[in-house]
Amino acid sequence: MTGVVVTGWSAVGPAGVGRAALADRLAGAQVAVPTTDGRTVLAEPAPATPVEVTTLVDEPLPTLTGHARVDFDVRAHLGRKGTSFYDRATALAVVACGDALRDAQADVNDTNRARLGVVLGTSLGSFRSTSGYTRDTLVQEKPYQVNPVLFPNTVMNCAAGQAAIRYGLRGVNATVATGPLAFLDALRYGSNAITCGYVDAMLVGAVEEFSPHRAWVTSLTGRPGQQVPTGEAATVFLLARTVRPDWTGPYPEAEILALTTAYGPGGGAAADRALTGCVRRAVRRAGVDPIEITAVLTGETEPDDTDEYVPACAALGHQPTRLRVSRLFGRCDAATGGLALATFLAAAPAEAAPTLTLLTARSPDGGTAAAIVRGWFGAGASGR
Amino acid sequence: MNRVVVTGLGPVSSIGIGVSAFTDGLRTGRSGISPISSFDASGFPHRNAGEVPDFQPERLLRRIDAARWGRSSQFAAAAARLALTDSGLDPAAVEADRVGAVVGTTSGESVVVEAVTAQQVEGGFDQMDPDLLGQITAGRLAHAVNTELELTGESLTLATACSASNYAIGYAYDMLATGEADVMFAGGADSVCRWAHAGFYRLGALTADACSPFDRDRSGILTGEGGAILMLENLDQARDRGARIYAEVLGYGLNCDANHPVAPDRTSIAECMRMAHRNASIKPEDVDYISAHGTGTPANDSVEAHAILDVFGDRVPPVSSIKSMIGHTMGAASGFGAIAGTLAIAHGFLPPTINWSNPDPALDRLDPVPNTARTAAVRVVQNNGFAFGGNNAIVLIGAVE
Repeated sequence: MTGVVVTGWSAVGPAGVGRAALADRLAGAQVAVPTTDGRTVLAEPAPATPVEVTTLVDEPLPTLTGHARVDFDVRAHLGRKGTSFYDRATALAVVACGDALRDAQADVNDTNRARLGVVLGTSLGSFRSTSGYTRDTLVQEKPYQVNPVLFPNTVMNCAAGQAAIRYGLRGVNATVATGPLAFLDALRYGSNAITCGYVDAMLVGAVEEFSPHRAWVTSLTGRPGQQVPTGEAATVFLLARTVRPDWTGPYPEAEILALTTAYGPGGGAAADRALTGCVRRAVRRAGVDPIEITAVLTGETEPDDTDEYVPACAALGHQPTRLRVSRLFGRCDAATGGLALATFLAAAPAEAAPTLTLLTARSPDGGTAAAIVRGWFGAGASGR
Repeated sequence: MNRVVVTGLGPVSSIGIGVSAFTDGLRTGRSGISPISSFDASGFPHRNAGEVPDFQPERLLRRIDAARWGRSSQFAAAAARLALTDSGLDPAAVEADRVGAVVGTTSGESVVVEAVTAQQVEGGFDQMDPDLLGQITAGRLAHAVNTELELTGESLTLATACSASNYAIGYAYDMLATGEADVMFAGGADSVCRWAHAGFYRLGALTADACSPFDRDRSGILTGEGGAILMLENLDQARDRGARIYAEVLGYGLNCDANHPVAPDRTSIAECMRMAHRNASIKPEDVDYISAHGTGTPANDSVEAHAILDVFGDRVPPVSSIKSMIGHTMGAASGFGAIAGTLAIAHGFLPPTINWSNPDPALDRLDPVPNTARTAAVRVVQNNGFAFGGNNAIVLIGAVE
């Protein structure tokens, strides 16, 4: 067991800003279903309808719709000062970090800010920012006619650095860039920083922005005949030890029981074995009976897309309910795993008993990761 | 807690590929700077960089097909292959799922991003090559190492900009110290690219011909590239297999300025040094040599030097910057610094700061090991790495006691 708990969180995406917005959307989609014996289990809902996104961009798009928050305006949340040069990924992430601290009722001040850090997951930072910068070197009259103020946006740690500036987070500040694995890798990184004693608490999250660049990647690299809408989200969770300083928040609502990762060189069957091994190790470390794991949240999309579910079930020895996060929220790359955890925490009603869930992730090259989380639903939701 | 040692080194650099060529480059104060050839730099006022034109991935890589991986991934995989060879480890003798890779980077697969952007400019978004789009994600840097060496353990890319290799070494140290892994390949990789060249030029941080850290007239960085990977394992295992042990990783410190996106912060950097010393259980007077971040910009070198003076008081060890030789290799920079520091301990010499002509009166207590390598007994090295976003990371490396 990692001995690390979640004391608050936020999701910023198509549903809006904050846990309540996501919970509302999931309630409408009937993700939590009561059973005859009085428990509540997760069920896979129908995906939300993507919205028209043409007002977000000037460039041509492969499709006119996506899972984006079209009216997101960073100034409405953070004001104008310091935000004017944020790219969209940075804006989503910084808003989510602030909202997670607020949700946790964390008291960040000069006595503890060196003990609070942040780690965010990404695929390649803002593809739009880097590609746009390169574009300027090609199309401007002189190749150096780029905007120096935007240069930091081309670096992948921009969002984490800006979150630190905005909230005065002087502890470990990191960015993990492993695409579909990035959120679970960020959880591992953040939990390690806490358990090794480098910090007392970490904001752990992942972000992807909607942009024409990502929409075209989705379109050009997706499976033929199966167009998944492009999604965007930032999800951020405040993590601290089970026994922790008061300032990190009074209400633990979930415990990260185990985090594992493995690589299957070349993908395919090697990655199947890697993921099965991950889940097996996670179950062992969590010290739980696999039958108690009633839901698996994967990054999968279509019903026949089982390259996470099948290897996971092979390790669990049964077939829990599956929620395919990319089907629910569109292709969200690095943010996928964070949406999985947010869905788990937002879905169930307050009276439900503690529940175990498994989160899985897999990258095309053969990277795999798994997490087992115990949620005490409603353990702090009231009054937030 | 296991003790963690360095047993393999894999530099792919502009002053040498492989540990002996790189060591020779450091000892002789070689410059790896040359006119840019990887992109058309003719429209730029400054046209030099620390490219690695001699890098022939197919000559170093055994398993991965270079055509399917971007240049930064190739650097990472080739550097890891060199580190494994250098270590003498028989991969069959360790459990593959207890062996992993952590690779730091600033710009990831920047050359691939630039290639698809050129296609986009030329023919529109729909003309971007799907195969290249499959290569743009930064996670492939670590994945390339795992694929090349058939490692089934961790595969993590850390994108904490120009201190990323120190983050990677630090995380690998934790994985080994806590027993989560038995062997880790850690370091960084980056490639010279147009956008960084343009951005640093416009920030006023790019110099023309020669990078001269800590010189009175220093005028900026030169962009550089390469792959720098160290093979780390726990001390007991290294002794059991009779490995040649270069040095020990003593610990590391990370913090964040939380102040400005690009300007370094003296107080915060000094605090990071103290934190690293505490985590490594050493005192400032134990440090024999500082492998500086030393970018060669007026601001960085001044802030870094003053932070060093704040922490070390009246006993300041020699401080040199290998960026004078290889340029600023971005995410690989502190990996090269760690390799240089390891070699300093193993061979008893201080790598020089080349291109140094005039003392900076504001830094008169600093010894930058000017121009010529120096023989010295080195027990403990402090390897500095700082970055955009205020991401400070410092690793302490020591002789094995």
